[in-house]
Order: sequence, then C-alpha cells, then structure tokens
Amino acid sequence: MVRFKNRWLLVEFLPINATNGRASLGVVGGQRHPSSEHGLDGKKVYNALKQSVLLNFGDTGWGAVGLSMNVKYFSPMTNICIIRVGRDQARIAWGAVTLLTNVDGVKVVPFVVHVSGTIKHAQLAAITHNREVIARYRASLQTPTAYHAQDSYEGYLEKSTVEIEALQD
Amino acid sequence: MFFDLNVPVPNILQSSTGKAKQQNVQSGATDVTTFSAAQINALDARIDLLIHLGYTVLAFTQTIHKRLDTRFHVNVLNPLLTQLKKRPGILYLKRLNIVLDEDSEKGFGLINANVNFCNGYDLLSLTPTTQATFSLACLTHTQPSQLTTHIISLPLTLPRLNFYLKHTLIRTALRNGAVFEIDYVGSIGGEFASILHDTGYAELGPGAKRNWWASARELVRVTKSRNIIVSSGAVKDADLRAAKDVANLITLLGMTQDAAHNTLTKTPKGVTLRAQTRKTYRAVMSEPKMIIPDGSMELLRAFVAQTTMDKEAMEEDRGDQQPEELSQTVPTVPDESKKRVREDTNAETAPVAGAGQKGPGPEKVAVKGQAPGQQPVTTGPTRKKRKKNNKPLESSVGSEH
Repeated sequence: MVRFKNRWLLVEFLPINATNGRASLGVVGGQRHPSSEHGLDGKKVYNALKQSVLLNFGDTGWGAVGLSMNVKYFSPMTNICIIRVGRDQARIAWGAVTLLTNVDGVKVVPFVVHVSGTIKHAQLAAITHNREVIARYRASLQTPTAYHAQDSYEGYLEKSTVEIEALQD
Repeated sequence: MFFDLNVPVPNILQSSTGKAKQQNVQSGATDVTTFSAAQINALDARIDLLIHLGYTVLAFTQTIHKRLDTRFHVNVLNPLLTQLKKRPGILYLKRLNIVLDEDSEKGFGLINANVNFCNGYDLLSLTPTTQATFSLACLTHTQPSQLTTHIISLPLTLPRLNFYLKHTLIRTALRNGAVFEIDYVGSIGGEFASILHDTGYAELGPGAKRNWWASARELVRVTKSRNIIVSSGAVKDADLRAAKDVANLITLLGMTQDAAHNTLTKTPKGVTLRAQTRKTYRAVMSEPKMIIPDGSMELLRAFVAQTTMDKEAMEEDRGDQQPEELSQTVPTVPDESKKRVREDTNAETAPVAGAGQKGPGPEKVAVKGQAPGQQPVTTGPTRKKRKKNNKPLESSVGSEH
C-alpha cells in the first residue's frame, strides 16, 4: 500500500542576545522566557521558513516543499518547534532550517534535535527535550532542587506534555 | 564524536604588532600577547555553544598572512588554552593557518629552522590564493616531514578561484593524505576570521553565499567527495550550526549521506592523528612489538633442537667431500695487463689524449711505468707529470700482484 510519508523535524531555536551577540543557552539576566518577550509563534516560524526556502532554493524549492510543510507545534517558553514535511523533500526543508538566520528579526541558531518518520517519536523526543531545556534553565538560575517542584516550570512541563501528546497527524 | 577543526581566535597579534615589536626591543620579553577577559569570556561562551551543538574536538585557529616570521610571530594559543575553562571530555587543538599570496611564492617560513616553533601547533594548514602557491601546497607541503601541512583551506567565497583546480595536483595531495577544508560559515553568509576579510580573501553578503555554493560544489566534484573536512570558521555565535545540520547541508552539495557524515567525523579524526606523525621519526606512529603466546616457547625450542639435529646428521652424511669442493674454488685474479696495453695503444693513436689523461690518471700512468718500451712520444708537461707520479705508482703496482 502506498501512502504519503512525512518527516518530522524537532527544532530548537537558540536565540542570540542582540547586545553581545552570544547565544543564550540558559536564562540570561533574569529573563525567564527567552523568546516570549520577542513574541515568536508558530506562524512567524512558518513565514521565516518559507522565506528561507524561497531565498536559498527559489520557486522550485518552495514548490517542492510548500504543500507539505507545516509547523505543528511551537513552544515560546523553550523555543521548541515541530515541523512536518514530505519525506522526499525533507532535505530541502532541513537545509532551509539550517540556513535560517533570524525569525521575525530575532537572530537565532536553529538546531535540529531529532528527525523522525512518525509523529509519535517526534512527540516523545519533544517531551524529553522540553525537560532538558527546562533543566538547563533551572541550572542557569541555580535554584535549589527542592524549589523545582513548585516553580513555574513544573506547571509548564505538565501543560506542554499534554499539548504535545494531543498533536494529531 | 564531531570535529570542528576551525575555531578562529580573535586576532590580537595583528593589531598590536608595532607595539609588540617596540616592547620586545625595550624589555626583551617575547610573550606580550594575552587575551582580554572579555575575549576569553566570549570564546568560552562560544565553546559552550559548540559543545551544546554536539562537537567534542575543537581546533583553535591562528591565521597569519604571507609568511611565518618567528622573530615577530607569537603562538597565542598556548597561553589561551591555559586561560580557558577546563572541560572534561573535550579536546582542544592548536592550528596555524597561513594565507599564501604572490609574496609567499618564494617561501613562507615552513623551513627546518622553524620546526621547533611549528611543533607548538597540532595542525598546520595553508590557504593558497594563487596558482603557484596552490601547487606548492598540494605537491611540496603535503610530503611527510616535520612541517607537513595536512589541511588545504581554499577561499571559497571569492567570486572565482583565480586558479584552476588541476586534477594532478589534487590527486597528489589526496594521495599524500592531505584534506581539503570547507568552512560552512560561507553558506550562511557569515563572517570569517577578520584577517581573511582584511586581506580580501573572504567576502560578505548574498554574493559570497552564491560563490560559496559554486566553489564548494566544484571542490566536492574534483575530490570525488573524498578527503574533505567541514568546519565552522565562524567568529560569531549566530553562524554556528549543529553537526548533523551541517552534514545535511553538505549533502546538498552533491555528496552522499555517509560521505557527508565522514567529513565531520572520520576524515578530521584521521587528519588529527596523521598530524601527530609530524613529531615522530619518519612519520612512524608506533613500534611493532612481538608478543609470544604462552607455551609456544617450548614448541619453538623443540623445533630448533629438531632442526639442529637434522642439520648435524646431514653434515655427517656429506663428511669428507667438503674440503675438496673448497679447494677447487680458487679465487680468480683479474688479468688486467691486456686492458692496460690496449689503453696505452689508444693513447698512442690519439696524441691529444695525453692532455686529457687527467681523468683516468694514476692507473694508466702506472702501466706506462711498467712497460716503458711502449711509451708514446708526448709533449713536455705530461712527461713531467709522469715522472713525478712514478714512484708511488710503482709501489701500488707491487701491492696488486
């Protein structure tokens, strides 16, 4: 049986601090939500990706990728994003993600964490990676471990897990 | 394990060369170059990002232009590595890159006098920008020696390489184990090390991106995607990319997936190991050692005993035949007199040869002394010479017989 096959890219955007040009891996200078103040969302990521494909691969590239590409999920807290694209064109889309330099004026380093063929594994990888990013934030804030059960991140993790699990193909 | 063999360090030497020279003259100190705290912090942050992106081996690159002059050149990487944060499991390497242009064609300091200096670096690399320096880099400097440059890094963002990537040159370089480097920062349109921009061997902007794709494709084509390494070459955090992303980017250059993966893992690992042979004798990495398994010595001894017994038995069988055989083999003494006479007749027939006899010299004269009757009538100088040489030659003749 022949069916349409997809690739699911789990991408993390590492925002670049505009003042000193450094990538912020953790929480810098008390900014708890590195990109929520930039106001990034799935729509903006999609537009940035479209521009990147058009710039680097032209109309042919966008013609190949455009129909199947879709930003399924974006978390403004951790800057994690799940992108769906047709399997045959996945390399073009991945290349476009790599060649992305800014999303809506915010400089970022795109980092493809995981590539999978089913949404199930994209979800699992996203949940795992979310925890890793939150752990990094907590480490950079240097809060005591006992405090972690009650900080705002715990609620976010629960909420995002439910959200990610609710994603449909 | 991913490699990034090109992490440029801020160029502090170039800006303060004049000052450094003066200070050298005044105080006699050699180490006047240190990085500021801000530079170290920025570099530490960049290393953190690189590690986050999956790299474990990082080579810091110091780039110089035209030639290596040890009077003014200071290895800035040695003090740098002590200032950086210690990170277990991460390997730091030191790399020296020399940008070659017309002025470097007569030599650029990679000479035996500078071996000790160059041993301060783990990797040496060249950026040729002319036809002559490109063939130098491919032919001469890839030969195994103490100053082998293992990495050839071409300026890929220039509108057109001002030389032709000749197949014979590339092939020789590949056979000698050199690798060609692609800096992926050009694909993003990012900034290279400042010295490359200052000297005009790197460009910025959308045009540079297009040139990069064209040149990198050409490089992949001529090398048949073998012996290519991909490194960052980026001076800004924003231009760094994760290793797997870069591998995917390289597949867009027309490389297969596994070849692209090798450009970040196997090939740079190989070149790092091979670079260590610069410091060993004739590029020998280790001495082979014989390991004898347990119990095999007894077998060996038994075997030796058996063979010696066999040999003795054979010798006894042959017995008294041996001395006769020996006596028959009389050493033959070459009979040279005929040849000498013939040479003499030659001299007679060609009187001019008397002047030209200096070459064969003493031997011939000796013969003449032996057979005076056959002496040719020659001019004065040769006669004199003959007389002078007569005595020692007589003795030498005696020793011959």
